[in-house]
Amino acid sequence: MPSTLSNPLRLGLRQERVISPQCLVIFGASGDLTHRKLIPALFELYLQRRIPSEFGIVGCARRPWTDNEFREKMKVKLSNQISGKEREWEQFSNYLFYEPVDLQQSDHVVRLSRRLNEIDKTQATHGNRTFYLSVSPNFYASGCKALKAAGLLDDPKKSRLVIEKPFGRDYSSAKKLNKIVQSCAEESQIYRIDHYLGKETVQNILVLRFANTIFEPIWNRNYISSVQITSSETVGVEDRAGYYESSGALRDMLQNHMTQMLAVTAMEPPGRFEPEAIRNEKAKVLQASKLANENEPWNCCIRGQYGEGGNISNRLKGYRQEDGVNCNSTTETYIATKIFVDNWRWQGVPFYLRTGKRLPKRLGEIVLTFKDVPVHLFESTIINPVSNQLILRIQPNEGATFKFEVKSPGSGMKSRPVEMEFSYDESFGEPSDEGYVRLLADAMLSDPTLFTRSDEVEAAWKLYTPLIELMDNSPWKLPIYNYESMTWGPPESDQFISKDNIFWRRP
Amino acid sequence: MKPQLTLQTPLELPYQEISNYLNKLWISEDKDNSGANTFTLMVWQPAWLEQCLVQKGLVNGPITGNLSPEIIKVAKKFILDQGLPITTSLNSEELLNLLKENLSNEDFEDFRGQFFESSISTLNPRRLITLAPTINKNSDIKTFVSAYCPLSDTQAMQPICGDLVVIRGDSASISNKGLKIIDELSIDELPAWLWWNGSLDESPEIFEYFTNYGLRLIIDTALGSPQRCLKVLDQLNNLNKAINDLNWVRLKNWRESLAMIFDPPSRRPILDHITDIDIDIAGDHMIQALFLISWISDKLGWSFLRVERDTELTKIEFERINGEIISASINPLSLGNPSIHLGQVIGLRLISKISEVQKNNTCVILGCESVECMRLEAGGMADMELIEQVVPNSFSTSEYDVSKLLGSSRGNTSPLFENSIKIALQIFNGLNN
Ligand SMILES: NC(=O)c1ccc[n+]([C@@H]2O[C@H](COP(=O)([O-])OP(=O)(O)OC[C@H]3O[C@@H](n4cnc5c(N)ncnc54)[C@H](OP(=O)(O)O)[C@@H]3O)[C@@H](O)[C@H]2O)c1
Repeated sequence: MPSTLSNPLRLGLRQERVISPQCLVIFGASGDLTHRKLIPALFELYLQRRIPSEFGIVGCARRPWTDNEFREKMKVKLSNQISGKEREWEQFSNYLFYEPVDLQQSDHVVRLSRRLNEIDKTQATHGNRTFYLSVSPNFYASGCKALKAAGLLDDPKKSRLVIEKPFGRDYSSAKKLNKIVQSCAEESQIYRIDHYLGKETVQNILVLRFANTIFEPIWNRNYISSVQITSSETVGVEDRAGYYESSGALRDMLQNHMTQMLAVTAMEPPGRFEPEAIRNEKAKVLQASKLANENEPWNCCIRGQYGEGGNISNRLKGYRQEDGVNCNSTTETYIATKIFVDNWRWQGVPFYLRTGKRLPKRLGEIVLTFKDVPVHLFESTIINPVSNQLILRIQPNEGATFKFEVKSPGSGMKSRPVEMEFSYDESFGEPSDEGYVRLLADAMLSDPTLFTRSDEVEAAWKLYTPLIELMDNSPWKLPIYNYESMTWGPPESDQFISKDNIFWRRP
Repeated sequence: MKPQLTLQTPLELPYQEISNYLNKLWISEDKDNSGANTFTLMVWQPAWLEQCLVQKGLVNGPITGNLSPEIIKVAKKFILDQGLPITTSLNSEELLNLLKENLSNEDFEDFRGQFFESSISTLNPRRLITLAPTINKNSDIKTFVSAYCPLSDTQAMQPICGDLVVIRGDSASISNKGLKIIDELSIDELPAWLWWNGSLDESPEIFEYFTNYGLRLIIDTALGSPQRCLKVLDQLNNLNKAINDLNWVRLKNWRESLAMIFDPPSRRPILDHITDIDIDIAGDHMIQALFLISWISDKLGWSFLRVERDTELTKIEFERINGEIISASINPLSLGNPSIHLGQVIGLRLISKISEVQKNNTCVILGCESVECMRLEAGGMADMELIEQVVPNSFSTSEYDVSKLLGSSRGNTSPLFENSIKIALQIFNGLNN
């Protein structure tokens, strides 16, 4: 029966690339990420009929579960998603296996290797494998070495290695980790995850820029006066204080997700749509990016930490009062920074990046503000004519808005701003896949386009090195300003950019 | 695109020795390189038209198996010169019979099976086997082999090689000896495809041999009579065989464009009030149109009621679950320069009536050219809200379409296609009862 909810003619029409027969091995299978993102994404791929029949998912962690225990635990954790699709889950769960492995024990990995050979036979997976390191970053290096030692990474065509974020803590540790990982596997086998790149809307920036003729000619310093990239969360640290205390907003969001958004916004057009061509351009633009004033990094950044807030019915704790957080913590939960991209296209155009927790809205967006017209011929109905803006909404309400001036109705010749709007929901009416669905499929398809290459990761860390050094060596120069929960960060952040005669967009 | 490199010029060997030779070849090669871990592709490559034209001296040899623009041009001219209708198919028996008159029976150089379009060779087939029947009725079987390595322009990795085998001879010798060789050449652990690059009307015993073989089949129902094509589809479907039909593949733009129109949720209600569907096709071969209408009715949950032929026009009625009737028609048009594939859809019109007031109703028009859209607009359509879109028919070659299938499909019949076949059969049988 046709329903007006989904487009019946769309059903079954998407032709996705087919994942080849293989085993996906997840280390950290008893952890948070596995049941919150990975298994749901795999189940979704299964429902979309994209999982081949010759397939296996082997969960690994230290605890001594059996295949059945693993299946049961996942079933319980995913109960919401499974509801109504119990039959499909039963079939899907036949793909799930479990093998107890401590990545630090080489004999465990050798045992795993034997188990994988057995599974190859029963599942007909031809020794083709994807290894997913969803364990604490402390184990990335030793995990790679153990896999290498067991010979599991030997065939570059048949084994792939997916590594979660964070990749390193700073430039030198990232470099060191790259070296180790690259000594265990070829770069073409390594897939460093940045789940923002899995988002449809981030990929859409590339399509918008390079599939249309009208944007590229004005996508430069001649027409654009500034760029703002915002990623805000309403939640606080939740139950991840242990991790967050040692990370903070710079490492958790700015260096990876925000910087990747900067890269796709600012990169040059690649010669062709091929993984290396695209990653070359991203690496180049990151290498050309610098803090606005590298000699005075304290003038290019504002850090903040949320204090108490909310309203009477819903009081919110400050960061330092959260469970597991040091009561004198100096971890930033908000960071804003100003960056220049030193190349022909962007010379002199400031890029302002900000991200934080406990802000009033959950949102990701990129705002390109265009230069003013040279002469204002028309009076504006509001005080000043507003500059043209192109707003790319990453989440939620994915889409784009273009703001421009039109004649205000009436006998005069006054101008006023209006908005031209594109919304994914209104145009397509179908939710886009969660980033992990796309990325897991791409890794299993050996398509590295949406994964960060070693030079990109290193360039992204290098960009923030002056700030990290300052935070480590003379933190008083980069004070942590308090901001009330559910406000747009510390007032200092507003002053920080109003010096440049620019204001944060209030979404 | 990556060019294909043949390591050796194809070597002619007695057919009994082929499989032995290939086994040795791969053992003596570098032991790390036991050949690409991909698939076997067999191609039934009669190229009757080309063979005739070369024999007649109307085009220059060698015979390649590719339907080149020159061949198409010369064949179309021949059709006109002989006074045949302009809609005559390039595979029609009538045409071939005329061409076969007074053939020289000379042997021409025949390169069939030795070159593949790069879209196919990039996929690194492990083994390419071409069956090349000759029009010459008494030519005994000849077999050729060669190893090839696609050149990769990206990585300096060791190329992964495959081999190709050509089996040439008259139909009888292919049936008697050629199929035995194929038996010996199968590689068990790899998927095997058969591309039947000819009309389904001919050599049914060879076709049947393959369907019993459990291959993934690629056929083209625009070649061959609708009766025979639908019968084949029906049998294969009942046997649960994997079928891919290029005639269905070529509908992709139409399915996608129509779906795209209804992506905005605000337009979905239009679908619930469709009253009429008209499909224009080029030439009198209705299978592709049947697929399109069957797909739409399947997705919108209509059931087939009746069908009748009204001179050229085929009229079909469907019923919505609430009892409302939808009238559909398939209308063959003769075009000045028809596509080489008979019966390609060139226009689609949907009318959706939500109210008595004409301007609240909607007319959706898809046409392969704007002229076709304008044609479908005639007769009061402009009073309704019009949604129009041009859907250019795809000009990709069959080789390219096949490579897409090889590269993307799991080999099973697409569920959308499977359902469409069932409905298309109901309609077609209704017509013949
Ligand atoms: N959770 C998220 O939302 C999120 C988001 C982005 C990135 N990440 C990244 O994803 C990774 C996993 O995060 P998570 O939140 O899932 O962590 P988690 O909940 O702490 O899980 C860690 C997992 O690692 C296993 N483990 C610990 N030591 C091990 C060892 N020596 N050998 C094998 N397995 C071992 C643990 O199981 P046993 O105790 O049974 O061994 C557990 O399954 C981290 O790198 C994190 O940075 C997580």
